[in-house]
Amino acid sequence: MVLEYSPMETQSIIALNTLEHGRCRPWPFLQDFCLTCGICAGACPASGVDGFDPRKLVRMISLGMEDETVSERWPWICTMCGKCANLCPMEIDIPGLVRKIRSRRRREEVPGILHKGLEAALETGNNLRLPKDDYVFILEEIAAEPGFEGFTVPIDKTGARILTTIHNKLVNTHTEDLKHWWKIFHAAGEDWTVPSENWEGTNWGYFTGDDAAIRKFWKNSVL
Amino acid sequence: MTVFDLLIEYIREGRIHLDTSRFKDRRATYHDPCNYGRQAQRRFGHGFFEEPRWILSQCMDHWQDLYPARMNQICCGGGGGTLNTGYNEERIFYARRKFDQIKTSGADMLVVPCHSCHGQFNAVKKDYGMENLEIKYLWELVADCLVVG
Repeated sequence: MVLEYSPMETQSIIALNTLEHGRCRPWPFLQDFCLTCGICAGACPASGVDGFDPRKLVRMISLGMEDETVSERWPWICTMCGKCANLCPMEIDIPGLVRKIRSRRRREEVPGILHKGLEAALETGNNLRLPKDDYVFILEEIAAEPGFEGFTVPIDKTGARILTTIHNKLVNTHTEDLKHWWKIFHAAGEDWTVPSENWEGTNWGYFTGDDAAIRKFWKNSVL
Repeated sequence: MTVFDLLIEYIREGRIHLDTSRFKDRRATYHDPCNYGRQAQRRFGHGFFEEPRWILSQCMDHWQDLYPARMNQICCGGGGGTLNTGYNEERIFYARRKFDQIKTSGADMLVVPCHSCHGQFNAVKKDYGMENLEIKYLWELVADCLVVG
């Protein structure tokens, strides 16, 4: 059976195929296709904070209010968990939109310690500006505790099968949590190493929307 | 390679052995971190849902899944850098749905494979009257269950 279209339907098909979506070029998250259904707002645990919800944010971008969203706190209270986008009938990438809004903040106005930590990582190889000697001392001190007889931390071992990084809290407030992987590696007889410099595994550029910093961070740590 | 694949490799190849009786009297549950689950599925076409559950089942015979889980999981509120923005009251408010879920499960141990989730749960559990809920890294559970020698 051949499908037949009315003149009106034919007109719509032509219109859809030639639609320019101009506003989606700088903000390619499909925000203009929002049906305003509000499923995202219903799903989001951060809805209501500051009178905001994902639907309102999407509508603001669609209406050209980018600057207004950039100065709001809400895009930093959202965790970009993706529950909204997973349910959106139009597949609007709301977490991507939030991250883009975050990237538009002046770096000195990024809330909390996120940008400061990232700057520290790019300058010193870790978010804490922890000097190399102190860091090595902490690792060796923990490895000298009871239960780790016959174990040493293989720092800067060349040719190892696995290179690990470290979450900065594990050499700061949560040193006990270093031990879990050490026990597993030891039991498995793994050939692994951890670097003495650029050991940071927590790249806050993902959170601040700073793609250039992300690349520089990993380039430092891998090369 | 992910931490899940590495742990699975060690267990499958017999490089580590686990004692499933270590936590037999505990009621454990598992939290899907957004970025290892739903977001990984959305962005890369594979969410790590089954891998951590398989590892958990190698460590204990009985544990209880949360509802809803996997793609419909509820975020803990500690992701996306929110632990370090200073908006702490908002972050506590965010966690209310997650804690409803955990309370309903009756669990006294919550296993997570994410540093952000781990930090958030420990930081806010008291606000929801669950100071006795033990928050455990998935790899900590594996390390605790290791049969050595």
